[in-house]
Amino acid sequence: MKVGLFIPCYINQLYPQVAIATLELLEKLDVDVYYPTGQTCCGQPLANSGYEEDSKSACQVFVENFKEYDYIVGPSGSCIYHVKKHFDILEQSKEVVKVRNNAYELCEFIVNILGTKNIGASFPFKVGLHKSCHGLRGLKLGSCSEKKESHFSTEESLLNEVKGLTLMSLNRKDECCGFGGTFSVFEEAVSVKMGKDRIQDHLNNGVEVITGADHSCLMHLDGLLNRNKQPIKVMHIAEILNSSI
Amino acid sequence: MGRAAILKSIQENKPALVPLPKIDLNSFDEIVDLLETFKSNVKLVGGDVIELASINDLDTKINDVYPNAKKIVAQTSASNLGTISIAKDTDPHSLEIIDLAIVKGEFGVTENGAVWISEEQFPVRVLPFITNDLVIVLSKADLCDTMHSAYKKIANRQRSFGLFLSGPSKTADIEQCLVIGAQGAMSLTIVLV
Amino acid sequence: MSHSQKAALFNKNETKVNWHDKALWFVREKRDTAAHKIKGWEYLRELASGIKANVLSNLDNYLVQFEQNAKQNGIIVHWASNAEEHNLIVHKILAKNNAKKVVKSKSMLTEECHLNPYLEAKGIEVVDTDLGEYIVQIAKEPPSHIVLPAIHKTKEEVDELFQEHLGTTPSNGNPEYLTNEARKHLREKFIEADVAITGVNFAVAETGGFVVCTNEGNADMGAHLAKVHIACMGIEKIIPKEEHLGVFLRLLARSATGQPITTYSSHFNKPVPGKELHIVIVDNGRTDQLSREDFRSSLHCIRCGACMNTCPIYRRSGGHSYDATIPGPIGSILSPGKDLKKHSSLPFASTLCGSCTNVCPVKINIHEQLYKWRQIVTKDVKQPLVKKSILKIVGIVLSKPKLYNLAGKSARFVLKYAPRFMVYSNINTWGKARELPEVKNQNFDDWYKVKRKNNG
Repeated sequence: MKVGLFIPCYINQLYPQVAIATLELLEKLDVDVYYPTGQTCCGQPLANSGYEEDSKSACQVFVENFKEYDYIVGPSGSCIYHVKKHFDILEQSKEVVKVRNNAYELCEFIVNILGTKNIGASFPFKVGLHKSCHGLRGLKLGSCSEKKESHFSTEESLLNEVKGLTLMSLNRKDECCGFGGTFSVFEEAVSVKMGKDRIQDHLNNGVEVITGADHSCLMHLDGLLNRNKQPIKVMHIAEILNSSI
Repeated sequence: MGRAAILKSIQENKPALVPLPKIDLNSFDEIVDLLETFKSNVKLVGGDVIELASINDLDTKINDVYPNAKKIVAQTSASNLGTISIAKDTDPHSLEIIDLAIVKGEFGVTENGAVWISEEQFPVRVLPFITNDLVIVLSKADLCDTMHSAYKKIANRQRSFGLFLSGPSKTADIEQCLVIGAQGAMSLTIVLV
Repeated sequence: MSHSQKAALFNKNETKVNWHDKALWFVREKRDTAAHKIKGWEYLRELASGIKANVLSNLDNYLVQFEQNAKQNGIIVHWASNAEEHNLIVHKILAKNNAKKVVKSKSMLTEECHLNPYLEAKGIEVVDTDLGEYIVQIAKEPPSHIVLPAIHKTKEEVDELFQEHLGTTPSNGNPEYLTNEARKHLREKFIEADVAITGVNFAVAETGGFVVCTNEGNADMGAHLAKVHIACMGIEKIIPKEEHLGVFLRLLARSATGQPITTYSSHFNKPVPGKELHIVIVDNGRTDQLSREDFRSSLHCIRCGACMNTCPIYRRSGGHSYDATIPGPIGSILSPGKDLKKHSSLPFASTLCGSCTNVCPVKINIHEQLYKWRQIVTKDVKQPLVKKSILKIVGIVLSKPKLYNLAGKSARFVLKYAPRFMVYSNINTWGKARELPEVKNQNFDDWYKVKRKNNG
C-alpha cells in the first residue's frame, strides 16, 4: 500500500517537528510513505469562514496531489474531516471519491488500518488528552459525553500503551478549546476564555503535557500558556508516539 | 392571509412525504421493580410516599401528615376528611382557600413518578393546582413502566382535561436553587394502598 | 452590535462568566445523567426526529385534521400568517370579553410576536407568571434562555428587583423567601385575571387536543381560573398521534433540565362548559423555513434548550449577546431565516464543535446548518471589505503551490524577524491574549528536501 502524507499548511510552516514526527512514525511502522510536494491546504479555513466556493481550487489541488495513493494520512482530525465531509462541493469524479474515502487521521490510521496499538513508545509524564471536536464528533475517533454509548477512544488506546505515560482524567472530558479557525480572531474574547478554561482543567488535574490529534487546538492553547507563562507543555500526539521508539 | 395562505404556503414548500416511523417498544423493555422504582422516582421529584396496609388507615395517616389542614376537599370515598364539597358548577376562584385536596390517582408511571389524574377524579380543573397541599391515593396494582404504556392506558378515555402530575410544584429560576412550592401545590403526598 | 461585540462586553466580568458557565454546565450534566439512565435513549431521539420529519412532509393535512378535531370538541381555532395577525387575533378575543387583565405562561411564540408591548399599548395588563419570565418582565429585559429565562440574574439581583416591585424585605437573595413572595403576588393575579394565555408544547392532530408542560403550575393556574384560555402555537408544534406524546414527553424534560418529566403535563381537549378555549395557529416565517431544504429540520425543535446548555459559546456569552428571541445554537439557525442581515453574525458565533447536535432530542444537525448559513451570509450580506478581500486572496494563494510556498516563507520571515511591537500591534487580534507560535528555521518542505529527497 502506498500512503500519501498530508501535512496541514500551518504545521508545515510553523510546527515542522509535528510533520517530521508523523513521517518518522509512519516509516517506523513500515509504511511506504510519500510526500507530494505540490500540496498546499485542504481549504478548511476558507470554507468555515463561509467562502466554500473560493476554496474549490485549493480542494482540487489537494485531490490532484493525492489521487494516486491508497491512503492519505494526516496529523489533523479537522483537516481530514473537512476532506471527507466538505469535499462534497466538488464534482464527485472517481478521483475525488477515492480521496474522500481513503483520507485518514493519523491515530485512526494506525489503530484501524495498521491494526496497531502498541508502538513501543516511551514518555514518562502526566498527560492530558484534548479530544478535538472535529476528530471526536466528526470522524468519531471516540465516544462523546453527550451520547449514551460505550466508551472508546482511538487516541487513548494508543496513549495507554506508551511506557511510563499516565493519562490524567479531566473534569470536562470533551469540551471545545475555543480555537474554531477564524473564530479565534473574530470572537476573540470567548475564544480566549474557552482556551483558558481548558487549560485550567488540565492544571487542576495535574497534567504536565497536553496532547491531542489536532495541532490547531494545541496551537491555541500553546499561545495562551506561553503568554501566561503557565507550567504545562503542549505536544502533538505524533511527537509522543514517536518518542523513544 | 390566514388559513388559506398558510395551507397554500405549506403545500408549496413541504418536502416529499417521509413515512412515519413505527415505535418498537421492545427497545425500551427492561426488568424493573415497578413499585420500588416508582417510589424512588416520586421522592426524586420532590414528592412523599406513604404505604398503607389498609385503606381504612387513610384518614389517620393524612391527619398525621397535615394536622393543620382545615379546609379540605376529599374527592375519594376512601376519605371522610372533606369539609368542603365541590361540583362542576363550583366557582374555581372559591377554591383559593383550600388547604388540602385528596384525590384518587388513576395510575402511576414508574419511570418518572407521575400519576395520571383527570376530570374523572375532580370536577373542578383548578383543584390539584390551587390547593395548598395535595394527597393522591393510588393503588399499588395501578402502576405501569413507561409513558408508552401510560398512553395505551388512557387511549380510550373521554377526552376533556387530564394531566400527568409528578411531584409538588417547583422552580429553580432563582440561581438554579431548587425551591419546592411555586405556583401550584406546595407538597404532594402519594398514599399507596 | 454583533454577537462578538456583545460577547466581548459580557467577558469583561470574568467572575460572572464563570458563574454563568458553571450554572449551565451543571444543567447539561443533569441532562446527561437523566438521559443515560434511559434504555433506548438514542433510539428515542431517532424516533422523535423521524416523527417530526413525517410531520413536516404532511403538515397541511395534520393541521387540517387537528382543526377539525379541535372544533368538534368546542375549541375555537384561529390562523395567523404573521406576528401582526397573531396579535390582532389575540386582542380581538380580549376586546370581545372586555378583558383588561391577562396572565401569560411561557410562550416563546408570543415573545417572538412581541405580544406584551402590543397589548400594553392598548391598556391591557399582561403578567408573565413563570417565575423566571416574571423576573425578566419586571427587569424590563428579554429572557436570555428559553427554559431558564433569568439564568443571567444572580439571586442578589432578583432580591433587589423584588424589593423594588413587590416590596419584599432585603433577604440576601433567599430563594425560598423570594419564591414565596412571588407566589403570593402571582396568586392575586391569577384570581383577578380575565384571560389566560399559554403556549403549546405539543398539539395532537389525531385528537384535536394539546399539551402544556410546566414545573410551576402557572399555566394551569391561569387557564382554569380565567373565563377565556388562549393557547398560541407555531405550525410545527403538531404531532400526528397521541401515542407519540410518549416519545416526546420522555425526551423533553430530560433534555431541558434533567428531570424525568415536568411537574405538570396538562392535556387540554375540551373547554369547560360556559368557558372559551381558543387556539391560534401561527406561521410567521415557518413556511419559509420549510422551503429551505438545508434548514427545514430546524423546525423539529421542541424548545428544550439543551443546545444552549451544552454550547461553550452560549455559556460564556449569555443569551442576550445573540439579540434574537431564541438565542444559542438553535436560534442561530432559525433567526437568519427571518432576518439574514440582522442575524448575520450568529452562524459565526460557534466553533462548530457539534455538541449541540449530539444533545438535540430531535436530532437537528445544528452545527452543519451553522456551516451552511455561513456560505449564504457571505454571499448575501455585505461583508467587511478587509475580511472578504483577505479570504479571496487566501483562496488564490492556496490553489497555487509556488505562491503558497512563497507566502509561507514570507510570513515566517516576518514573524521571525519583525520586532515584537510590530507583530503584537493593535491589529493583531490573536496577539491580544496569546503568543504567536515560535518560528523555526525551516518549514517541513525544506527539511524534507534535505532529508528525504527520494520519495514524493
